Amino acid sequence: MNMRNPVRWLYLAVFCLLTVPALAQEPDDREPDGREIMTQAYNRADGQDRTSTMTMTLINKRGSERVRKVESWSKDYGPDRKSVMVFDEPADVRGTAYLSWDYAEIGKDDDKWLYMPAMKKVRRISGSSRNEYFMGTDFTYDDMGKRAVAKDTHTLAGSETVHGHDCWKVESVPVDPEDLYTRRVVWVSKTALMTLKAEYYDKDGLVKVYNALDFKEQDGFWTLLRSEMDNVSREHKTVMEVASIRYDAGLEDGMFQVSAIERGRVR
Amino acid sequence: MAMRFTAALALLTLLLGPGPAWAEDEILPDWLHISGWAETMQSLRVSEPHDQVTSRAKLRLEAEAEMDWLYAFASADAEKNWIIDTETEIELHELWLEHAGDGWDARVGRQIIIWGKADGVQVTDLISPPDYTESMTRDLDEIRMPVDALKLRRLGKWFDTELIVIPVFKAAVLPEGDNPWAVGQSVPNSVRISQDDADEPAASLENSEVALKVSAYLPGVDVAASVFHTWDDTAAMHRTAWMDGGTLHVDYTPRHHRLTVLGLECSRPWSDFVFRGEAAYTFGQYRETDSVFEDPRPKDGLKWLAGLDWTPGDDWTVTGQFVGAHILDHAPDLAEAAFSPLATLNISKKLLNQTLTLSNMLYADLDDGEIFDRVKADYEIRDGFHVLAGADLFLGDNGQFGRYEDNSQVWIKLKYSF
Repeated sequence: MNMRNPVRWLYLAVFCLLTVPALAQEPDDREPDGREIMTQAYNRADGQDRTSTMTMTLINKRGSERVRKVESWSKDYGPDRKSVMVFDEPADVRGTAYLSWDYAEIGKDDDKWLYMPAMKKVRRISGSSRNEYFMGTDFTYDDMGKRAVAKDTHTLAGSETVHGHDCWKVESVPVDPEDLYTRRVVWVSKTALMTLKAEYYDKDGLVKVYNALDFKEQDGFWTLLRSEMDNVSREHKTVMEVASIRYDAGLEDGMFQVSAIERGRVR
Repeated sequence: MAMRFTAALALLTLLLGPGPAWAEDEILPDWLHISGWAETMQSLRVSEPHDQVTSRAKLRLEAEAEMDWLYAFASADAEKNWIIDTETEIELHELWLEHAGDGWDARVGRQIIIWGKADGVQVTDLISPPDYTESMTRDLDEIRMPVDALKLRRLGKWFDTELIVIPVFKAAVLPEGDNPWAVGQSVPNSVRISQDDADEPAASLENSEVALKVSAYLPGVDVAASVFHTWDDTAAMHRTAWMDGGTLHVDYTPRHHRLTVLGLECSRPWSDFVFRGEAAYTFGQYRETDSVFEDPRPKDGLKWLAGLDWTPGDDWTVTGQFVGAHILDHAPDLAEAAFSPLATLNISKKLLNQTLTLSNMLYADLDDGEIFDRVKADYEIRDGFHVLAGADLFLGDNGQFGRYEDNSQVWIKLKYSF
């Protein structure tokens, strides 16, 4: 090719302009790795703030039921999130309020406070209780919120269909050897970027299985309405139903201060 | 006892049923909510004659009304006490109104105000006076008496400022008469004692108690500083004593004195732990002497607490506290020691999907070597319905715990919340 011809130079330049972007897009077509999937799921859009009512039905192996009802508010502050939960049922814990400032930064303990109506005061609680079960349910505090991606190493284990949705299957192994679980296997919807199923294992094998039973797109955000955590190791399960969901209601910063839960109610 | 227990159980069963309809908001409007609890506690003395030390049934009703700009709260108690007659009564507990504005709120009326970081121990927590009538067997919120007060708060992003004005004085209530928790003192035949009614400050602006507190809740640490210009909840026993022949006469004139208390509080989480600290410096509190011829004398005092909460996981909780109380410029004839150390240890574990809680709370008077130990099992039979069983054990001689050694008891309690 005679490159001294300026017209040919022009053809070459046009060819490059057309082909380079196509080449640049090529990596997007590849399958994301486990960490990328979990990062996308972690960053799934859910507004700047959100409000909901959660009803958790605890079912033991004899079929008897207990009910916990919680009102919840949360708001994002950059990568961090502040949330408040006020317990409505059962009656003996009614009015108990839990305030949490969760930090994305690894190694930084979350700030948590608990208001107990019987004590009529707020007390600090330790920030590292995320592996404790929440109010006797089968959900840990970690399960209730967002688990930082960097807390596990994630490996893509393929694609499978769960509840009729095309999902990535990711195996996550905690970095901390003292973690409650030795590994988690999660199925993340490729369209909703939501975990539709998860299995939790410890050194003795399968501990519990999570399933998203009902979810929909609301106000432009994928929203979980009903889920179940079946703790096979203790033959106990919890069904969680979420209602009265609102996004971007413009929640005031004052709701996420200790002074708000100290009042014994959050409004 | 069986009859009392049956009566109390019948009351609970009535309440239990399907649950009061009004409590489930089926009848009431959305802005009004009624809740409460009913409980009964029965005990047996550990030592002879194994009679009852505690026998009572209590109903608490709470009403909340939430309007656009105003929130109202009222609670009332009805109690039947088979051991302490004066406790059998129906009374208004709290009644207050609250308005929450943008960056401030105000609460006015009869209310309980609890301060401090301590657990089961009073250091800066002096706003609501204690009712010691049956304090050893009561929950904390039952020991604190409400005060008629105005509470104003300025709420900032990092700092909250709280101003409390209490125009009506309320004294601490001490056990007396046939109450098994009243401390009996034998008086020799050669001593004649008389006592006037306590001289309580009248309700007025000048006699008001005023408290100011600034609190900060920051990432990784909470701190607070306070000043409380108050009256001593417990009257100082001023006296006149003289000898008449072979008889000693003592006339007591109980008087409440002004007190100013400076307070500091902090708590800091770290990993599975929360460190707590609290201190109160009291100016010129009247201290009892050990001579009937010597009036109580004002002395400054410092009380402090260092506490540690540990939540190692698996539903275990361990809380330890050390409390030191100093009397400054101490004199040998004061009844209290220059330094009184106290330690507490609470260990609890939740089992059976958190329906059963086993706990042990230990108070140890390190100066006199005396102990109060409460061991307890709390089982949630169904939502809101608890059965508790436990033992209160007092060990020692004649100090703050040993004096109740004969009151060591095993007990059972039923509590239903609705």
